[in-house]
Amino acid sequence: MTAEDLSILGLTLRVAAISTLMILPLGLAAGWALARWKGRGRAIVETVLSLPIVLPPTAVGLVLLDLLRRSGPLGRLLDRTGVDLLFTWKAVVLAVAVMSFPLLVRPARAAFEEIDPRLLGLARSLGRRPAMVFATVALPLAWRGIATGIVLAFSRALGEFGATILVAGSIPGRTQTLALAIFHRTQIGQDEAAMRLVLMTVVLAFFTVWTSEILSRRRERQLQA
Amino acid sequence: MKRMLAGLLLALIATQSRAEEVLVFAAVSLTESLQEIGKACEAKTGAAVRFSFGASSDLARQIDAGAPADVFFSADTAKMDALEKAGLVRHADRHEFLSNQLVVVVPTSSSLRVAGAKDLAKLPRLAVADPEAVPAGIYARKWLESEGVWTEVKPKVVPTLDVRATLAAVESGGVEAGIVYRTDATISNKVRVVFVVTNGPAITYSVAKLVRSKSSAAQRFVDFAAGELGRAIFERRGFAVLR
Repeated sequence: MTAEDLSILGLTLRVAAISTLMILPLGLAAGWALARWKGRGRAIVETVLSLPIVLPPTAVGLVLLDLLRRSGPLGRLLDRTGVDLLFTWKAVVLAVAVMSFPLLVRPARAAFEEIDPRLLGLARSLGRRPAMVFATVALPLAWRGIATGIVLAFSRALGEFGATILVAGSIPGRTQTLALAIFHRTQIGQDEAAMRLVLMTVVLAFFTVWTSEILSRRRERQLQA
Repeated sequence: MKRMLAGLLLALIATQSRAEEVLVFAAVSLTESLQEIGKACEAKTGAAVRFSFGASSDLARQIDAGAPADVFFSADTAKMDALEKAGLVRHADRHEFLSNQLVVVVPTSSSLRVAGAKDLAKLPRLAVADPEAVPAGIYARKWLESEGVWTEVKPKVVPTLDVRATLAAVESGGVEAGIVYRTDATISNKVRVVFVVTNGPAITYSVAKLVRSKSSAAQRFVDFAAGELGRAIFERRGFAVLR
């Protein structure tokens, strides 16, 4: 492993971690709201939120790029505030955050839905405020499902390619994550150097999936008990 | 949680680019020359030079969208013209002193002979950088058009992302031949030049500091690359330096 390989790994882990931390509060709020909301239009909101799972990542990337380019609606705003976003590591965070958001929301929503509503009602009747009910009853009960969502979102963030290359390019040392570097090295015929990165991703993927397996096993046992 | 936020903030601040750092977006065909020039420039001026190499078309698109590049090296003048039109480059900042030549390469083990453009139409596949966008591909297309064989060659073309991907495709033996720059062919011992294009379109590289660059070292790097030492390095690597 070279110093360059390690710095690519470091960038990838950092970006995935920041992205996952960023979407965590939003994703929990969305999952909770969708689990509690029984009104009309719920299916539509859910579908829209899940679009990044189904759409080609390049399509999501192009929409983001169009919004954020210098002449775009959000890009002009950024330009005025002097924030460099596109083709920086911050753009990588944004791209992977958008792509991994639904992977956090869906398991979180399912976990919140599994909670016996009587438990929540009981907590309310004991005088707990809704925010406290969420924090002290719902969160601990749904924790395994949320953890699965975090693992899924994190692994998506580690491997995202299509949206990232459109909004952040593939700049060595700045925006080139593992997935982008593997592609780039293959393109220029450095298959061996690319394979080193592939081995790194296999190890990473192994630990991520392993963690999620352990978590879901525990959850099953918990449900059986 | 507070500590986590503080850590995030620190990470944000730490990655802000320093003024003495130059981010150079450059045509992939210049990789080895510019890396050598970058090292020499770093040693002389103390500024850290970083590169993003790729197809000039990709890089120009990224710069137009707002990528924080300080210097752009394009393999053609058209991409630089477009950036100048968009107000991202000043005409007076442009330097055009480098040229190159197209060659047809085949895998070293291949016994293929190419006597001219017409022979390329007989091949099952020909790797060329994307002939609609990437400079190396556009130059190749123009040459084949002027030879009157483009319509026959076009269905055989395997378009690649940039000229080094063309080279890699030929090296792997997956395609019978490819069109690259002479300077690309010389860095590989897995390909053999079978034809040198002498009547192709004029190949002219263009370099300029970008208007939006906040790096104080950007102009110094351009001057260094376009100066005596830079030109000598390009020449040694097989580029034609225009006087």
